Amino acid sequence: MAMLSFEQKYRVRGGTLVGGDLFDFWIGPFWVGFFGVTTIFFSVIGTVLILMGAAQGGTWNPWLINIAPPDLKYGLAWAPMYEGGLWQAITICAIGAFVSWALRQAEISRKLGMGYHIPIAYGVAVFAYVTLVVIRPVLMGAWGHGFPYGIFSHLDWVSNVGYQYLHFHYNPAHMIAVSFFFTTVLALSLHGALVLSALNPQRGEPVKTSEHENTFFRDFIGYSIGTLGIHRLGLFLALSAGFWSAVCIVISGPFWTRGWPEWWSWWLNLPIWH
Amino acid sequence: MAEYQNIFTRIQVTGPAYPGVPLPATDSARKYTPTHVHLFGRLGDAQVGPLYLGATGIASIICGTVAFVIIGLVMLDSVGWNLVQFVRQLPWLALEPPAPSTGLKFPPLNQGGWWIIAGFFLSLSVLLWWVRTYRRALSLGMGTHVAWAFAAALWLFFVVGFFRPLAMGSWSEAVPFGIFPHLDWTAALSIRHGNLFYNPFHALSIVFLYGSTLLFAMHGATILALGRFGGEREIELAIDRGTAAERGGLFWRWTMGFNASFESIHRWAWWFAVLCPLTGGIGILLTGTVVDNWHAWAVQHHFAPSYPAASFNALPDPVYGVAR
Amino acid sequence: MSLVAKATLGAGALIGGLLLLTTFERPPVDTVQVGFRGLGAEQVYNPRTERAVLAANQLPELVPAVPAVGPRAGQIYQNVQVLGDVPVASFARTMAAITNWVSPEQGCNYCHNPDNMASDEKYTKVVSRRMLQMTARINADWKSHVADTGVTCYTCHRGQPVPTYAWARNDIPQRPSGLAGGQYGQNLATPAINQTSLPYDPFTPYLMNSAEIRVATPAPRVAPVRPGTKDTEYTYALMVHMSQALGVNCTYCHNSRAFYSWEESPPQRSNAWHGVRMVRDINNNFIQPLQPVFAQHPAGLPEGPVAARVGIHGDPLKVNCATCHQGAYKPLLGQQMLAQYPELNAVTRIDAPPPVRQ
Repeated sequence: MAMLSFEQKYRVRGGTLVGGDLFDFWIGPFWVGFFGVTTIFFSVIGTVLILMGAAQGGTWNPWLINIAPPDLKYGLAWAPMYEGGLWQAITICAIGAFVSWALRQAEISRKLGMGYHIPIAYGVAVFAYVTLVVIRPVLMGAWGHGFPYGIFSHLDWVSNVGYQYLHFHYNPAHMIAVSFFFTTVLALSLHGALVLSALNPQRGEPVKTSEHENTFFRDFIGYSIGTLGIHRLGLFLALSAGFWSAVCIVISGPFWTRGWPEWWSWWLNLPIWH
Repeated sequence: MAEYQNIFTRIQVTGPAYPGVPLPATDSARKYTPTHVHLFGRLGDAQVGPLYLGATGIASIICGTVAFVIIGLVMLDSVGWNLVQFVRQLPWLALEPPAPSTGLKFPPLNQGGWWIIAGFFLSLSVLLWWVRTYRRALSLGMGTHVAWAFAAALWLFFVVGFFRPLAMGSWSEAVPFGIFPHLDWTAALSIRHGNLFYNPFHALSIVFLYGSTLLFAMHGATILALGRFGGEREIELAIDRGTAAERGGLFWRWTMGFNASFESIHRWAWWFAVLCPLTGGIGILLTGTVVDNWHAWAVQHHFAPSYPAASFNALPDPVYGVAR
Repeated sequence: MSLVAKATLGAGALIGGLLLLTTFERPPVDTVQVGFRGLGAEQVYNPRTERAVLAANQLPELVPAVPAVGPRAGQIYQNVQVLGDVPVASFARTMAAITNWVSPEQGCNYCHNPDNMASDEKYTKVVSRRMLQMTARINADWKSHVADTGVTCYTCHRGQPVPTYAWARNDIPQRPSGLAGGQYGQNLATPAINQTSLPYDPFTPYLMNSAEIRVATPAPRVAPVRPGTKDTEYTYALMVHMSQALGVNCTYCHNSRAFYSWEESPPQRSNAWHGVRMVRDINNNFIQPLQPVFAQHPAGLPEGPVAARVGIHGDPLKVNCATCHQGAYKPLLGQQMLAQYPELNAVTRIDAPPPVRQ
């Protein structure tokens, strides 16, 4: 069995949202659940569709595989299979798999008596994906506005969509999102480092305490957010990065069609400057 | 739902401030009487202070202030010392590095010299600050992980501001001090070098950037979800595994088939966060020195996707008469 | 904090947020695909803005054509230097059209002394003669940019004596003791380049002089020094202007993953390349030589309209992409006027050095 030394006592029935005891079992270390089944279902079909698209694309080089959305001319309708229809089907499978994953996380949380923070946090990421491939295309009137599924081809899309607004760095929501991303990396490095520096002290010293953690940061910058606070802060920073990223792309197009630098004209033209 | 979700502290216990773990005799005394800020206490700790000043800390703040003031005064001059325009155009203003014609020489002050001076004082400031992170840890007998994480960030800082301009033979390649102008620099660097998305170290750096965000969301959410078991007591749980650590590990094991421990998650965290600026700095350093056009390099190494030529309807290069 | 203070702060934040929302646009939007699906090569338009562009690009009323018969204008009138071969009636019709296009409010007397129509005493007549030569040059020698659509005086002037969109050198003279003297010509918010902090005069190097626009390799090594980040910012500024002037975005001419690659650039890029050379020809051979004339009348004719004819350095107002395009992907949305006014192509003497096509 792939069980940890203390795991047996936690493997109890219960916590499921759908299906009762039917799928309440483990395969190896993985808990299945009804949503585990749906995850596998969507993932397998989605993967098969991706492989079909790759076969049609003429290359198996993982960097080059590209499954593109439909032409804009198809609007919000179904496109022919090899003219973007595959992309649409894969997207449906992806959303099905991601939502299933989140609900499975919720069931596991319930089984372990934990709060729902993890599936909710994961839901923010799913929301960002749905914004990119559903919400924004619907607002702009065509599924073709979604990004292509390919490692480097999706970066070509990012580059071109950015330059549609001449200088995407001037997008105010993008600025906020980037700031949250970099602050998250900063905070994560500090938090990881702080815990490790207490658990791995100087040679010959005993393992340190959370008083040492607090003292280090109070000495360092005059304030320590504390063991609980840093996790609240970290979650907030990370989710804000994802949220503002979704905002920055959904406003580009549906809510702004010009160059992003031009948006700042409202500030430059405020009457108070005269 | 009416259940407490562990996002904000509802009841704050107030007591005497904690003066800090005793410092060795070689260190100065801490400064400022600690106070309690109720608003802070709703998210984290309410106590603010005491602060350790220290020689390197004070020197760092002084150098940093010098740099800041130089930047501000040059910006003010660029709008003719008009305070209204200074506030109005502040995001656009900058202290620019020297012109390309200067190379690596020291130009006149008003033609990039101030940038070099401000850059020097800022560099000194952050290096002194690094020393501070190192010595504060040592004073408390702790590991120096914070210092080495900060070193990764300093690596990126010095690559863009010093090492790469040095390698390119021109201060003009460095980043200007300014809000929008440093974004112009970022875009220009990518345009000049064939789109930085095709730089594999840039891609790696982004993997670690998004990965860090993913990890902190996962780790933060896990700890908060374990709040009712005291999950935030990470040190105690790392050396003496309790039910919070067990449930946390099992959550991820059952979800994705493997898990970290209460200590090792912080190693995942530290490395992901540190590798972001580390690989990013490598990517920047290689740009323009080793590789001049990343898209062309990608075509050479067979990882640039191709699109049907007909979809472009391209015309030949008017200069050479053939499409290049 | 008291409840009143908190409520005020909250209300202020809410109102501020709502006001900020008004700075944005709203769906629906129009999109046009320019390249392969999923590549993100699209033009995005706001239908409400487009209606305004449509309204602003209506052709002026046609001056009725006249039969091309009768004696030549050069035989009948004095001092006709470039339109002498045109029949008298056609000549008069052309004059009427030009008046409509350039000085509808000021009338014929904007250029002429009514007691001596042949006299060149008004500087505007000297300028307009050069303008006729310039128009003929564009239509004859720059088909690579204007094709058969061509241009007329209206393309730039649109009923204004001074075209709305023009540029002059705008670098503030360097103060010897200034801290910021070496700002390298950038970092001030500039409308002509979409309010970026990029260099605020990309026109002098690229639309007046012949600086190399290409910065990414492979590129012709015209300059002795390898282009760097700073040179790229100058090119970027020109490109931002071009996009804004045409009401398009970068993907109109480029695939941004490889800006340099002509194989992945839509055909518009070639058209733009010729356009840059055309503008250099216009500015150097037709407008700059008029500098002494403009400098003598820096604010225009005494009777008005009062507007600057030269920049802060005394250089004449010159042409950039916005002068003709004025926010449209083709000037006047590609509607042709030239076919109705063949007299403009009957200029006999262009009197300028041959165009440079490199």
